[in-house]
Order: sequence, then C-alpha cells, then structure tokens
Amino acid sequence: MKDIAIYLSNVYKKYKIYHDKAYTLKDKILFWKRNRFEERWILQDINLEILKGESVGIVGKNGSGKSTLLKLLTRIIYPNKGEIKLFGRVAALLELGAGFHPDMSGRENIYINASIFGLSRKEIDEKLNDIISFAELEEFIDNPVRTYSSGMYIRLAFAIAININADILLIDEVLAVGDIAFQEKCFNKLREIKQKGVTIIIVSHSTEQIEEFCDKSIWIKNGKIEMIGNCKEVHEKYKYYMLVYNKFNK
Amino acid sequence: MILKEIWQYRAMISSLVYRDLHGRYKGSVLGFLWTFINPLLQLLVYSIVFSVIMRMGIEKYGLFLFVALIPWIFLSSSIVNGSNCIIDNSNLVCKIYFPREVLPIAVVNSNFINMLYSFIIVIGAVLIYGDNHVYINWLYLPLLFIAEYVIVLGVTLIVAALTVYIRDLAHILNILVFAWQFLTPVLYPLSMVPEQYQYLFEFNPMTNIIVAYRDILFYNAAPDILVILKAFVYGVILMALGFVIFGKLKKGFAENL
Repeated sequence: MKDIAIYLSNVYKKYKIYHDKAYTLKDKILFWKRNRFEERWILQDINLEILKGESVGIVGKNGSGKSTLLKLLTRIIYPNKGEIKLFGRVAALLELGAGFHPDMSGRENIYINASIFGLSRKEIDEKLNDIISFAELEEFIDNPVRTYSSGMYIRLAFAIAININADILLIDEVLAVGDIAFQEKCFNKLREIKQKGVTIIIVSHSTEQIEEFCDKSIWIKNGKIEMIGNCKEVHEKYKYYMLVYNKFNK
Repeated sequence: MILKEIWQYRAMISSLVYRDLHGRYKGSVLGFLWTFINPLLQLLVYSIVFSVIMRMGIEKYGLFLFVALIPWIFLSSSIVNGSNCIIDNSNLVCKIYFPREVLPIAVVNSNFINMLYSFIIVIGAVLIYGDNHVYINWLYLPLLFIAEYVIVLGVTLIVAALTVYIRDLAHILNILVFAWQFLTPVLYPLSMVPEQYQYLFEFNPMTNIIVAYRDILFYNAAPDILVILKAFVYGVILMALGFVIFGKLKKGFAENL
C-alpha cells in the first residue's frame, strides 16, 4: 500500500454570484437589495485519492470546475463542505510570475518569489544557480524584470516554481510557455521531477500532453467527477462527449 | 501549528519588511535618513510649540509627549497600514498560497523596526533634556517593547481581516485611532483624568504601556511591575483573539477581493 499524497472526501464548493455587489457599509445598508446573489455549486461531492508519485491529468470543458478544484488544492480557496488533506510541500504553477516586482532585478525577484513559496534564505541560496541556468538568464539576471521580454519573464517564473523541492506540483495550462525548445526542456524537467517521486497534477485542454505524461486522468463534468482511470479510455469518452455536445449546440 | 508555518515563511516576512523599509523613502534625496529626521523634526516642533506658545503646566512637555508619542505611532501606523495589507496584496492572495498572517505580521514588524530606529532619537533626547537618569530602569524597555508588539499584532490581525469584508473600516479606523489616542494618556498624564473616570482607562490596553514608557523615560522611575504584567495579559488575550479571528476569516479572502 503506497502513501496517499492528496485526499478529498465529499468536497463541495459553491460561489456566490452577486448581481451587483455592495462593498461599502453605506451600500450594504441603503441598497441591501443589491446584496442579492445566486449560489452556484461549482463542485459537488468530489471524492479523490491520489497516491504519492502519481501523475494525474484533469480534463473537462470550460467552466466545469477544473480550475476551482486546483485552487482548492492550493488552498487559495476553501471548500464549503468536505475535507481536503495534502501531505507535503505544495508548489503551484497557476499564475506564473505573480508577485514579481518589475523594478527589481531578476536575482532579487528570485529571492522574493521563492520566499513566497516558503523557502528559507539558505534554501534559496542553494537553488539560485540552478534557477538562473534553467531560465537561461545568466546575462540578464541583474537587470530589472521590467526590461525582460515576456518569454524571459515566464522562463524565470517557471524556473523558480519548478526548482522548489515540492512534494506535490500543481500545474494549470502553463506548459504552453516559451518557445518549443524551452517547452521541451520543461517537460524533461517535469519527467525528472516525476522520477523523484513527486506527485503531479496537470489541468490541460491538451489530452495529448496528459496522455504523454500522466498515469491516469480525471474527467470533470458539471462539477462532478464523471470518470477516473486510464488516460486513453477517459479521453476517448470525453472527446466523444465533447463532439456530441458541440453538435447539440450548433 | 500556524506559528510553525509562519516560522517557515520567515524569509517572506523579512523580504516584505525589507521592501517596505527601503521602499518607503525610495527616490528621496536623504533616503533612509528620513527615518531619523522625521522623529527629530517632530520633537523640535513639540518642544517649540509647547514650551513657547502653548504652555501646559508640565515641565519639559515636549519630552513628556515625545516619549509616549513614538510608541503610540507604532500602534497607529500599524493599524492604518495593516487594515489595507490584504487588499493591497490581492494579486498575491488570489494567486498563491502562503499563510496569510504573513502580511499583517510584516506590517507590524516594519513599523516595530521603525519605532526602534526612532528610539535612538528618543534616547538621545532623554539624555540631553532629561535629568537624574536611573539607567537600570531602562532594562525594562525590552519587556515593554515585547508587550506592546503583542498588543499591536493582535489588533492589526483583527483589523486586517475585517477590512476585507467591510471596506469602510479603513476609513472608520482613522477616526477610531484618533479617538483612541485622546482616550489614552499620551497627551496628558493619567493623573489629570478625573478620579471617577480613571477606572475606565484600565480597560484600555494601551494605558499601561504608555504609563510604563513614561515612568521609565520621563520620570526616571522603575515602572510598576503590575502595570507591565497587565499589559502582557492584555497583549496575550488580544494576540490570541487576533489569530483566531484572522484564522477564521482568512479562508474567504480570495473570494472577497
């Protein structure tokens, strides 16, 4: 029996959709009607167990709740009901470069950004060279980040996130970064990380990417888990559903 | 549990504090020197105004006020900066996980360090203007720093979390802090308060702090141990309350920003 890395039981998440949200006290009192909102269940009854070292893909059409699930796993938001347990350090590649300071140099930003991931200064010192060489920014590392091209920016952000010794890595549609050579490098790095026994969750619209990389796939449909299992089998059903769905909507 | 996690994120706290302290005077000619010039000029203004124009019937009123005002500013600026710290960092809060307590703690730490810098001026002023120094009493100062830090952290945690849900609080707080200052013996000695109201000041956690600072630095007296003890009791209660309230409210931050 292998160890569990991620455990979800009966997880429900709803969002309040405000028609016209009142933020201030005056508005809250005077226009209390404005506070009317709809509650929409984004995720319902999610039960999931992911073992240590597994790589899992998540597919589903837009608005099905994939990204919400990932946000729950990163603990940016919390479930309304149910329980989520994560074992180990989590690193998320959701919004690359969040928290970068444009006026500070690449090197300073490495320190700031890695500290937001919970690394101590000593740990960052040890990782610094790996990060800079992975981002291929040796010549520019002391220039302010605002002078970087968008490719350089993303490369730096990715290099930081991937060089944190995480036990669980969450990735949302960010593998389309940089040129083809850098993408290939990212995938190789991910494989290397996977070999080390890191648990990896990838949300993607590219079923090919998932099939190439993951051990199993989860299909989320209207906020519920429709199917879990072998990538090819899940994707076959999922693609067929999308085909039918598109026909009905024409 | 949460404290252990915050300790793990200490590098983030120190980088936020560093950025705040260095960013504060960025672009100004005198730069970091402003940290010292600010309190120095304040002292100058108070000394002139209260010894020449508005005589208060208290000898060396400028110094009397100054030794209490610097600790007070630590509280008031922490509350005012702290109330917006989650909203100002919404780009981080909505995108990355980290213990949210880090943000208000960084605000309090940077204001605390600022107060310590200002204390260089305070100590200098006390040495120049004061008399009969009993230096041994200064050993109480670190205790007092800690007691005040704990109180300020508790209050800042609470206002930081509440402001996310009630945006008006940031403005209401300006008035509340202003009123709180007048209800704390910062501008006047506690003895000036009519006796029948003095017991009310006991409920103000900052009263004990300010009284003790003034005992040490202005009256050259050893502070009442009971006063420091009371300050600590208030501090621990406020901090515990702060962590509990913040811990409950932080789960909804990302959805309410």
